[in-house]
Order: sequence, then C-alpha cells, then structure tokens
Amino acid sequence: MLWIRNGIVVDPKNKINAEKMDIFIKNGKIVEENEVKKEECKVIDASGKLVVAGGVDMHAHIAGSKINTGRTMRPEEMRVVRNIAGKFRATVGRVLLTAPAIGYEYAKMGYTTSFEAAQPPIGALHTHEELDAIPMIDKAALPVFGNWHLVFKCIEEKNMEKLKALVAWAIERSKGFGVKVVNPGGVEAWMYGGNVKSLDDQVPGFNVTPREIITWLIKANEELGLPHSVHLHCNNLGVPGNYQTTIESIKLAKGFSNAKRQVLHVTHVQFNAYAGSSWRDAGSGAAEIAKVVNSMDNVTIDMGQPIFGHATAMTGDAPFQFSLHKLIGARWSNKDTEVETGAGIVPIGYLPNNPVHALQWAIGLELGLLVDSNKVALTTDYPNGGPFTEYPYVMAMLMSKKMREGELSKVNAYVQKATGLASIDVEKTLYEVIHMTRSLPAKILGLENKGHLGIGADADIAIYNLNPLETDTSKEFEKVYKMFKSAEYTIKGGEIIVKGGELVKEVYGRTFWVDATKKADIQAVMPDIREYFNYYSVQLGNYGVEERWIKKPARIEVV
Amino acid sequence: MAVVIKPKKFFEVCVEAELTPELALRSVDEVKKFKVYYGNKVVELGELFEVAKQGDEKKLILDGDFSRVKWIGARMVDGEIVVKGSVGANCGAFMRGGKITIEGNADDWLGIEMAGGEIIVKGNAGNLVGCAYYGDAVGMTAGKIVIEGNAGNYVGEKMNGGEIVIKGNAGDFIGTEMRAGVIEIHGSCGFVGGDMRGGEIRIKGSFELLPTFKKTEKGWVGDVNVKGEGVIKTF
Repeated sequence: MLWIRNGIVVDPKNKINAEKMDIFIKNGKIVEENEVKKEECKVIDASGKLVVAGGVDMHAHIAGSKINTGRTMRPEEMRVVRNIAGKFRATVGRVLLTAPAIGYEYAKMGYTTSFEAAQPPIGALHTHEELDAIPMIDKAALPVFGNWHLVFKCIEEKNMEKLKALVAWAIERSKGFGVKVVNPGGVEAWMYGGNVKSLDDQVPGFNVTPREIITWLIKANEELGLPHSVHLHCNNLGVPGNYQTTIESIKLAKGFSNAKRQVLHVTHVQFNAYAGSSWRDAGSGAAEIAKVVNSMDNVTIDMGQPIFGHATAMTGDAPFQFSLHKLIGARWSNKDTEVETGAGIVPIGYLPNNPVHALQWAIGLELGLLVDSNKVALTTDYPNGGPFTEYPYVMAMLMSKKMREGELSKVNAYVQKATGLASIDVEKTLYEVIHMTRSLPAKILGLENKGHLGIGADADIAIYNLNPLETDTSKEFEKVYKMFKSAEYTIKGGEIIVKGGELVKEVYGRTFWVDATKKADIQAVMPDIREYFNYYSVQLGNYGVEERWIKKPARIEVV
Repeated sequence: MAVVIKPKKFFEVCVEAELTPELALRSVDEVKKFKVYYGNKVVELGELFEVAKQGDEKKLILDGDFSRVKWIGARMVDGEIVVKGSVGANCGAFMRGGKITIEGNADDWLGIEMAGGEIIVKGNAGNLVGCAYYGDAVGMTAGKIVIEGNAGNYVGEKMNGGEIVIKGNAGDFIGTEMRAGVIEIHGSCGFVGGDMRGGEIRIKGSFELLPTFKKTEKGWVGDVNVKGEGVIKTF
C-alpha cells in the first residue's frame, strides 16, 4: 500500500488541474482513501511536486524484426553504454536501444506504457519474445493489415464477414492489439518495384485501391468493436505534396462514428504533411491538415516529431525506405514478409542546418501546436524521428514560445519561409501537454485504466520535481525540460521503480492483447486461410503465438 | 628518458590499457594506480606491469611483449611511444598526434580512425589498418602509417586522408570505399579499390584489378560503379 501525500495533481481525464491531493494505492490500483489502512502505507511526500499518470507512448518501434535489423546494421549504435551491469542489466544504444534499455529509459522519464506500432503477423512470435525482454513498462503490438493478400482478397470479394473474421483471427493469432495499416497497397506494389501514388491507384495483381482498403478496414474494425481504431500510416509518406493525400485519407473517416473514441488514428503525420512539388520547394501542409482534423470529431493524429541528432528510419513502408536511401545515400535494408507486408530500414541523422530536416522539425511542432490538444498525441515515431528520451524537449517546446524562438534561431532559415512556425503564438498549458502524453493516448488506444489517476486506474504514476503552481512553463522551459527528463518517482503497478531519477527496482509489465474472436464467425474465412497457407513458409498449425508463451499476458475480450 | 613499462608475466587473457604518453608526466606511483582491464576485471597497472621512470620526457617505453595488450596509444595527442616488442589490437586508434614506433608486429585495427600523428611498424601489421570501425562512415583522416613488413586485408577501408606505406606485401580489399588519401604498397597485393570514390593507391608489385576501373593517362580510374574518381597506378 502506498500513500502519495500532498502532491499537486494534474489529471486531465478527471478534469483535475493542479490541485493538492492525496493518492492511495492498493494491489496495483488507485483506490479510495477508506480502502487503505494509513498506518500500513508507505508514504511518499510529494509536497510541491507534480503528480501525474505514467506516460503512454502510443506509437513507437520497440520490438520485432525491424528494430533488430536496425541494430544489426548499425553496430556503431551499440558503443554508447547506458548502464553497466550490476543490480540492473547492462544496456547499450544511442538511439537504437537494446530491449532492457528501452524499459529503463522509459521508466526514468516517467513513462509506463508503450505500444509497438507495426508487427507483421508472421513475425508475431519474435515481437512477443522481444516485448517480454523489455522490463518496467506495459506493452502491446499492432499487427499490420494494409498489404496482406488475404485482406485484398476479402475486399475484392466485397465480403465483410470474411474480412471481420480474418481481422479477429489474425489479432488473436498474433496476440496483437488492433489494426495497423501501413501505406495500404503500396508495399504490395513495391514487390514489383513500384508504389501507389494516390488513393485510387489499383494495387498490382488485385482489384482493390488504397481507398477501399482503408474504408473496409475501418468498417471491419468498427463492426468488431475493437478498443483501438484503425491506426493508419498514410500513402505517399515522405513525398513533397503529400499533405493532400493525408487530408483525403483523413476524410475517409466521414460516415463512421464511435461514441467512445475516434474511428481513425493517423500516425506520425509530420512525415505526411509536406506541401510543394519537390524537396527544392517543399513547404508545410500542417496548417491545412490541422484545419481538417480540428473540423472532424472522429479522427486523431500523433506528431512524429523529429529530434535533431541521430535516428533510424524504419517502417513497414518499404518503397519509401528505398527512396529515402536513394535520397540521402545511407545504408539500406529491405525486409519482405511473405504475403503479408514488408519493411525497410535506413539510418538517418537530422541536422539543424539542413533545410529539409529543419522543415520536418518545424512541421512536427506546427502540428502539435495547431491541432486541438484533444486530437494530437505526442510521439517521435521512435526511432524514425529520434529517441523517445527526448519527449521532454517536445513537451517544453509546445509550452514555450520563447524556447521555440531560441531554437528557431539555430536552424536553417528556410523554415521561416516554408512554414508558419515563427508566427504561431500558441503556448500549450501543462494540463494540455499532460493530456497529450497521458490521457489522450490512453483514450485513443481504448485503455480505460491508463493515463489517469481516477479510482480504479492502474497505479502507474510519475512524480516530477516541478511545482505547477509556481512554475511559469513559458519562461522556465529549461527547468521544465530537465524535470520531465528525469522523474522524481516512477510508480508502476503500485511499485516504486524509479526514485530520484535512478532505477530502484526491476518489474515486468503486462502485454495487452485483444480477443475479438467471438464477434466474428472465424470459420467464414478458414478455407481461404488454409488455401493461402500453401504459399507460406510455415504450417498453419505453427502460425501465431499462444497466450501461455507470453510472460504476462493481459487479454482484453471484446464482447 | 621516460616511463618504462614491462609486463610481469604472460597474460592469460587480453589486457585493455589505453596507455598514452600522458602517463610519463605522472609519478611512478600514480602510473601504477592507472586502471586497466585484465579480462573482465578492472585492475591497477602495477599488478600486471613493472614501472620505472627515467626522466621527465613525454615518452613511454613499452619493454617486452605487448601482443596481448590492446588500445595502446588510443586517443593520444602528442608525445611518443616506443614498443620494443609486438602490440595487440587497436594500437593508435583515434590518435590525433605524436608518434608510435613498434619494433615487433602490430595486430589488427592499427591506427583506426586516426586523425594525425605517425605510426611506424618494423615488423608486420594485421588486418584493417587505418580503416573505420564497423558502422562508422570514415576511417583514417590524416597522419601517416609506415609498415616495414607485410599487412593483412582491408588496409585503408573508408580512408579519407593521410598516408599508409607498406614496404612488403598486403592482402585483399585494399582501399575499399576509400575517399581520399594515399596508400603505397612496395610489394604485391590482392583486390584493390572496390567502391573507391577518391584518393590514390600506388603499387609496385602485382595486384588484382576489378573490371570497374577505366584505364587513363593517370592510371586506372574508378570505381565507376559509384562514379568514383580514385586512381590506382603502379610505380
């Protein structure tokens, strides 16, 4: 039992803005005061300190074959030692951290949940083995659907029952959490050396278009009633002028509704918000996208903010990765995952004096500032935009125009011409930024017990040495950055895992997975699945992950 | 006149010791307390080596067989090191100035990513002389490495400046992905210049040329696969 005394609580979900409160924890949950015996409680004195829910990272690439290929092709990454073996495990990595380092670094920053954003279903076992090796945080993985031959077939046949059955079956088999779509149709076209250029291009070999893939998957997702919506990585990523494709894709959510959450989440929008016709005249499409997102009540986005310094581009968007490799001349690795999807990996470094990188940096911030705080979550699309360990930098930037002015003076002047960042006066409040990093991502993912401090919530709590009542976040940005970098306490499931910025205890979080098999007639699609397994390198019986193989599975049944 | 360091025994496992001429400015007791790795254990230099002082010059004399001691002269900026036997891997890595003389042989990774100074090897050198560590974009950028004997494979890979002179023969993949600088081989060697973008390789003896080099007045120019303008010629 824990008693957090006199903390200044910011809890946007429960509309608490900097109120002095006590929080009580029992059996890993937040409970009412009368449920604990105060004399038995361990007391944490949080006087004058900020108490918030543990951070929720809704989109990061933390496990699976992509990040492992990245680690293999970037041996130089492994020369940065983060933790020498002792009470905790040895960890290395500059941007591409090793599995334990990922858990440790999230915990030190006060984050307690992170979702692997793209998992090829056939690679599920690998992903789960690796998620199991990440300590400290709760996690889950989103299987990818946008380029799977079986998905194309169901849509070609216009058979929604089959598609629903396939989605439910695949999520169960891969112990996944929701429906991720990466460059729908484009990765299949890449198998023939091409890509799709618009929502209405036909996918080679199939009578379907990206528009149909997205709408049909949204429909299947909504009819199944999954906790999370379709999680879309749009077509034409990284191509100047692509903001129009992004807007068109966002508008596909019209006509769908869900009382609890959005019906479409568009991810790392920064990479999909470029105006212009080439990198020579590229500009920002962030303002237009923000206008559309703000006008709709069923779409959310996340930023995909680049951080200056080292990063590694890794996405399921194989054609984009190839063009990136051609553009910057860096190393490149391609992955083809049979009939399901593909991926590519390219090391990259964001340089402030490079006009394109500075533009990307500015667009990410524009999105974070211009989009309503209730619709944009904070991410760097780790490790595509940079390390998640720099989230505090993004938080501080959103809250302080003064900090932005300082940073703007250091970057390539092209930004002044190509974006409107310099003229944006918005300064998000601490309340809004806490929402963007906690309660909003939890709501987008459909995690009811995460991201807030109400009764019944998981006792994932971060305490920072920052008094919100006495801190001017607009002026004291250096302090804000420093405090969010290193939590005074991180509490995971009721246990203190970080104290004074140092790890004190290693725990293992749960792996969430969604079981929607009762919402669909799986048998409807089994004959097709059996037929397709003629083309797989594994037998149907060996496909997927059993629940008992996972360290701490947490099944979420959809009824 | 300098600090003289002598191994006390044969080392069962490798020692990792970044011995630089800076040590010569310290007292004998301080040098003995210098931390080195013996296998996976951190020990004091004095446990493994005898240390004696002969004046105040910025010079290290390594007297004996140092073939199991790695990282000698790593990151050194000035002064001199004389090795009276052979050295282990990574000798002179990242060095920026000063001079290392090795009277015996050198192991792999000699003068890796060095940016200045001079290394002279009286015996033979191993593989990967003056190249980049795995994953890094550029190898040696300045300075000079002279090898009186033979060298192994991958000499000057990703080299971006400076000079490597080999008086004997060398192995395969000389100057792979080289961008600038000079490699001079007085003996023979295997394949040269794959994906070479710039710089010059001079060879006295025989060598294997890739089909991606064009014969010109300057010598063979390529590698055309990467639109390179490196030059390979005989002398």
